[in-house]
Amino acid sequence: MKFTITRQHLHKGLAAVSASIPTKTTLPVLSNILFEAGQDGVWMSGTDLDVAVRVLVPAEVSEQGSLTAPGKKLQEITKELPDQPVEVLTRGDQIELKCGRAHFKLNGLPAEEFPTLPEVNFDEGWTVEGRHLHSLIEHTAFAVSTEESRPILNGALWELRDGEMRMVATNGHRLARMGIPARSSSAPSADFIVPPAALGQVQRLFKDSDTLEVAQSGNHLGFRASGTEVYTRLIEGSYPNYEQVIPKDNDKIAIIDKNLLASAVRRMAVVASDQTHRLRMTLEPGRIHLDVQTPDLGEGHDELEVQYEGEGLEIGFNAAYLLEVLRHMPTADIKMSFKAPERAATVVPVPDDGEEMDYLCLVMPLRLLD
Amino acid sequence: MSPTPHTGAPEPPGPEARILLVDCDAFYVQVARLEDPEGVGKTRLLLVGGSSTGRGVVTSASYAAREYGVRSAMPTAQALRLCPEATVVPVPRDACARRSHDIQKVLERLSPVVQAASIDEFYLDLSGTERLFATETLAVTAERIRRAVLEETRISVSIGGSTRRMIAKLAAGLAKPGGVHVVPPGREAEFMGKLDLAHIPGIGPAMVESLEQRGLVTVPDALALQEGWLQKWLGDQRGTWLHQRIRGIDPTPVRSHEPRKSISSERTFSRDIDDNAELERQLMKLVVSIGGTLRKKNLRARTITVKIRDGDFTTRSAAHTLPDAVETDRAIVSVARSLFGELRSARPTKTRLLGVGLSNLIDRDVPSQTELFDEDAALEGERDRALSRIMDDLRHRFGDQAVRPGGVLRS
Repeated sequence: MKFTITRQHLHKGLAAVSASIPTKTTLPVLSNILFEAGQDGVWMSGTDLDVAVRVLVPAEVSEQGSLTAPGKKLQEITKELPDQPVEVLTRGDQIELKCGRAHFKLNGLPAEEFPTLPEVNFDEGWTVEGRHLHSLIEHTAFAVSTEESRPILNGALWELRDGEMRMVATNGHRLARMGIPARSSSAPSADFIVPPAALGQVQRLFKDSDTLEVAQSGNHLGFRASGTEVYTRLIEGSYPNYEQVIPKDNDKIAIIDKNLLASAVRRMAVVASDQTHRLRMTLEPGRIHLDVQTPDLGEGHDELEVQYEGEGLEIGFNAAYLLEVLRHMPTADIKMSFKAPERAATVVPVPDDGEEMDYLCLVMPLRLLD
Repeated sequence: MSPTPHTGAPEPPGPEARILLVDCDAFYVQVARLEDPEGVGKTRLLLVGGSSTGRGVVTSASYAAREYGVRSAMPTAQALRLCPEATVVPVPRDACARRSHDIQKVLERLSPVVQAASIDEFYLDLSGTERLFATETLAVTAERIRRAVLEETRISVSIGGSTRRMIAKLAAGLAKPGGVHVVPPGREAEFMGKLDLAHIPGIGPAMVESLEQRGLVTVPDALALQEGWLQKWLGDQRGTWLHQRIRGIDPTPVRSHEPRKSISSERTFSRDIDDNAELERQLMKLVVSIGGTLRKKNLRARTITVKIRDGDFTTRSAAHTLPDAVETDRAIVSVARSLFGELRSARPTKTRLLGVGLSNLIDRDVPSQTELFDEDAALEGERDRALSRIMDDLRHRFGDQAVRPGGVLRS
């Protein structure tokens, strides 16, 4: 294998791929990047066996071939190279880099030792707009569970329907759901449970303006656009029936200035218990009171004016969950709705232009004991 | 933001701290003798714990029996091979708890801060009493305390003293039996310098071996090394810990109300068991016992550990930490059973001992998070908790056998 590449292209390729390389691994070849030099340029691939990233970078290939080489070292070297063309070639299992007067030889491993990436046929798949997918990920992926006790919740549910796609994530204590009308596609409806690491790579590597091809092959899902490919293992099993737990009859509705509420909650959180982050929210017409009382520490109180005309209600929340949801709300005003102290509360955006947005977050309360 | 000062937590001991460790001499042996002065009380070679058929382990051996090489935690069968003349008696549990409590009462009268480290070990912090006992050195005070305990409870104790907890404990080992050993302020380093690393509390066999491989056996061997090397070999935390320990640095204060860290129970069977159903029954019995203690203390646990000792004495354990703390037998059993299954399938052989432990304990009164999905999917719900409280109440009123899970009954 032999090719000449600009320092910028080499650096860009390595940066794209190396984020998928595991930091610790028992399989040495996984610390390496696979180089495949062909007619179109050089493909670079990295994987941690759950998620794989593959990118094509322009290069002048004078001898086709393939080899794997240590990703982190290559990235560090490339960062320090002068802005001149880099000549890359292999000798046996060694990779050589020449740039200006600098010359490196690094030990690699044969390409055959690199795990085979999933074979996905993109002709039988879906197409989605980068900006649509990005918006779904941005607004929901934060709610994915990190606890190992229910693996099915360790991914976001992505529903592809004719004319619509939706993403849902929850850890059983709070939930985020977003839907976007999408161009109708000839491919059938499908549901995928995608690990957040893969969604992170999709967000990082594809542009809003990209049109992504998406296709499934067995237990894997592939994303592809303009010389960049992301593959991921899917989480198997059936996602819990989330529609059933989203309340439809919450009749106590408050319209609240998001930033005012968020700052008040942040202030209360300082004095809330480190273990539970519990705060008490009391609703009365025109006003919300926030209180915290933490044994051995002290207490805090704050209040803000809101649009609310319903009955009084006292409800407990984990301040951290509340803040997280508020942070993801895209509008200045939000609508919070409640039913009872131990029932789910929902939060939705209130767009200025009055156009409905299909985005909903739900927070389960903390029980108030006294 | 600076961390909030935690009121109530005592300051770590300063150089003027006066700390004693009161350690009962062969406590179980002494209690067994006091409980039966005419029989066991006259036996020189005595093993407490296990049975005369040789099952179980020695909880404590009389000093005369120790001369034959018998040690605590040794299987009783092995102890009887070393010392065939010995008499074996069961552990007098109730009497031990009662007498331990009596000793603590005496100590609380003589020292401002008393912390029971175990049933037969008590740390005393006499800091600030220098003027009260102006005429006494710490060694004299310790001797006075030793006599008072002996006179009032008839239990012989040994006492170690120093400015640090760890050194007090090491010194108590040198005072045994029935003596006092105090390391005076300023002489801590000299005292530590005479020890092997293996003597230091907290250094187990695995660490001793890994230190030995690097040529470190005595405390002075390790004193010569920079902290960085110890950190490199043992990891940052353990390295710093050892670097401080060998210099006699132990910032742990003596606290009269140390929060409970774990609850556990284990059982050595009268014969090795290979039947899974029988073992699961035993597992459930253990869970019912520790679950009761957990709820009585108003606690919940996040971590559940199952321990198995195979017939060939291989000891294995597995633990699982839950996202939410639990308190019901039902929840503990479901986790314990799956850990037990893992351990059994990894090495399906006869089981000699089974144990269950709960740790990562939190206060039950912290407000609980409501669940989005059906609570059946969660390990325990409010209904389960209410039910287990009712069962605890019934057991409290009508005895432990009043209500039992069906699983513990022999089919």
